[in-house]
Amino acid sequence: MREKLHPFHIAILIYMTQSGVVIFSLPRVLAQHMGYNGWIALTVFYVIVALNISLISLAYRLADGKSIFQIIEHFFPKIAVIPLYIFLLTLWMMIGCISAKRYIIIYQIFVFPTTHPMLIKILVDTLAFLLIIKGIYNISKAATVFFWLVIWTILLLLFFLHDFQWINLTSFYFHESSDIVTGSFRIFTAFLGYELILLLFPYAEKRKGVMKAVHIGNLLTFLTYILVCLVCYGFYSFDQLKRMKFPMLDLLAYIEFPFVERIENLIFSLYLFTSLIGIVMYCWSALEAAQRILPKANVKWLAAIIMAVAYVVSWVPTVLVEVDAWLQYLGQIEIGVAFGLPLMLLLFLLLQKRRDEPYIDYNEPS
Amino acid sequence: MTDSNHIIAPSLQHTLDNFKDCIDLTHRTFPEINVHLVYFDHLINSDELYRYITPLTEAREYEIQNLLIRSQYQLALDSDTVIKGILYGKIAIFHKDDTYLVDAYKPEARSIDASQTETVITGPHDSFTEPALSNLSLIRSKIKSSHLKVIKLEVGEISKTDLYILYIDGLANMDYVKELVERIELIEVDAVHDGNMLIQYIDDFPNSIFPLFSTSERPDTAISKLVAGKIIGILDGSPSVFTAPSSFFEFFASPDDYYQRWILGTATRLLRFAALVITLTFTALYVSVTTFHYEMIPEALLLTLTESRSRVPFPPIYEALLMELTIELLREAGARLPTKIGQTIGIVGGIVIGQAAVQAGLTSNVLIIAVASSAIASFVIPSYVMSASIRLVRFGLIILAGTLGDLGIAMGIAYIVIHLCGLTSLNTSYITPVAPSYFNDWRDVFIRAPLWAMRDRPSQSNTPNKVKMKQKK
Repeated sequence: MREKLHPFHIAILIYMTQSGVVIFSLPRVLAQHMGYNGWIALTVFYVIVALNISLISLAYRLADGKSIFQIIEHFFPKIAVIPLYIFLLTLWMMIGCISAKRYIIIYQIFVFPTTHPMLIKILVDTLAFLLIIKGIYNISKAATVFFWLVIWTILLLLFFLHDFQWINLTSFYFHESSDIVTGSFRIFTAFLGYELILLLFPYAEKRKGVMKAVHIGNLLTFLTYILVCLVCYGFYSFDQLKRMKFPMLDLLAYIEFPFVERIENLIFSLYLFTSLIGIVMYCWSALEAAQRILPKANVKWLAAIIMAVAYVVSWVPTVLVEVDAWLQYLGQIEIGVAFGLPLMLLLFLLLQKRRDEPYIDYNEPS
Repeated sequence: MTDSNHIIAPSLQHTLDNFKDCIDLTHRTFPEINVHLVYFDHLINSDELYRYITPLTEAREYEIQNLLIRSQYQLALDSDTVIKGILYGKIAIFHKDDTYLVDAYKPEARSIDASQTETVITGPHDSFTEPALSNLSLIRSKIKSSHLKVIKLEVGEISKTDLYILYIDGLANMDYVKELVERIELIEVDAVHDGNMLIQYIDDFPNSIFPLFSTSERPDTAISKLVAGKIIGILDGSPSVFTAPSSFFEFFASPDDYYQRWILGTATRLLRFAALVITLTFTALYVSVTTFHYEMIPEALLLTLTESRSRVPFPPIYEALLMELTIELLREAGARLPTKIGQTIGIVGGIVIGQAAVQAGLTSNVLIIAVASSAIASFVIPSYVMSASIRLVRFGLIILAGTLGDLGIAMGIAYIVIHLCGLTSLNTSYITPVAPSYFNDWRDVFIRAPLWAMRDRPSQSNTPNKVKMKQKK
């Protein structure tokens, strides 16, 4: 019997896929693009994501446990959809590998300036590979354990209760905002990860709570982001926030215990867990697409090839600016997929429903 | 080997031929009544022997036949039964052409004693001993229910060791019982000597470093597992019974937790999980901080640390590995030596090596504290097998910390989590109730909730009867 994912684990999985190292730079991005009190703008993004999830839940309801690949192949011959699968495979694989690279480059900048990032990346990729081949059920189990290992760090924000100043928030809203459209895309990518629920349809327990769980996961992400951003806005002045590369790292560096201080490295190391789940989920999605193209291939080999290709691709961008730019482009495409794919599925499912409906002749006396 | 389809009539000569060169076999003859006895002296109780034999020796020859029709003398019809009977502690009585078996089994065994490896402060002190039947009686005497079912199996192609599988009908999941029996029947090995050895033949992942079935020497633990809907196995000749299925967190519970007030029990549980974190990461963190992250140490502490480190000529990773290895050597030496010499080893190790190593400038004081704390923390874990596994894992973390600092530790922990997530115990998740999450069970895992609050059996047992306690109004 194949185990199914419980809504609770789906919520955690979605949260862990969505949140990642982006949280360390998000307050700065908000300050740069949304201006004063930019943290409030997160609410808008949360609502948009929630609407997108509602769209997906419509598709989920109609899909009745079928995978997106089954739905698509119901309408088109397999050979015709292979380019679409290759596109999705490439996109997800790239997001997986580039987000891994981003985590590693940030770590390398702070701690190992002389170490080649690709050396560290091979270790992270190996971990990701080991988890991917264990299947989605075990990935969700790992995500749950990692969640408990990371979530407590939010409590560290309590240290700023004393130094938080409401006056830093000012009474201006979105003043000095610039380049809102580009900024919005950048901020929206911080929420990405929820769309992978599309691939979890056949693995989820057939209960009502599944889509609610996605909403809860998204809400949790939103709450974490808004808490961190609010504290950053209240702790730093607006100009400081705009100039800091990773405000949350500096925030953590401020915390002092009697026996330990500058815990930002330690906490950033713990964020390996959330990054890992993000990488694993995207690469697992790529693997799902690859398996659809080559159904008879050995899963472990397929996963190994995907990870190897991803590793090679991630050699290309070498500095953080390049990696950020890549992630930006990939994120924009993924936003398209997040909205486009469920719309397409809905269209197909509605067509299918109409086609499969029994013909009723109303003229015939009943 | 005798062909099972081919029955050989029992005879004295055939039996003696079979046990040729077995010097411990006793063969007694009573020519006046034409009776021969064959048995293993050390497997039987001599009182029993005289109880059965005296009536025969005091009778006349024509009366013997009438005496042997009593129910305690079983007529054996094939030679195989006789040979097996003798091996199982029966006395074979050869009279004319007939052969009888009489049960007088009572091998030498040590008496029931307090457990040495799983000691408790309050609560029962008795522990299992080697003979399976005596262990079975310890359990039967405490669970007076006909629902306690026992399946007898044999393991070891040569040793033919008895194995008893116990479960409570209506509480245990019969799919698990079936699966366990199937796995045991598949074992084909010459001999199995201990419960801890047996579980390595039947667990789901033999290559994992973690024990997948918990073992215990304590009847109260075994009983608590049985009533929790789990299955236990008693191997003859082994004082440890095993439980299936088990979860990772089960190894951190001790019967003492239930015999104390719940707040104390909870505090102790939390202390054990803190010990797990300390034993895994403390030395690794020392290595990581002193190699890569000096900024993490507050200024006041930094002076002490640098002063203590200043005389040490090695990088922290070598220093730590050296000391950890020494501790492991001391532990292993202490475990194998008699108690009195073991104490001396403790003194030699603790004072002489520790103190001398610092004075000689081989290690720093702070490291000694880190290594000693993580060693002590490892002994807080109640299960010796789990504690040993975790101590070994720690070495991996120290090496990772020495190469990649905090990130290395995080990677090591990630690997452990990934490994644990893939493990199953009798096809159930090894990290239940964390993933899959059963929050009800957390009341008896991370804390020890008040007894009235623990109303359900653990989810891992997948029991048909979930409720273990009903509140009286």
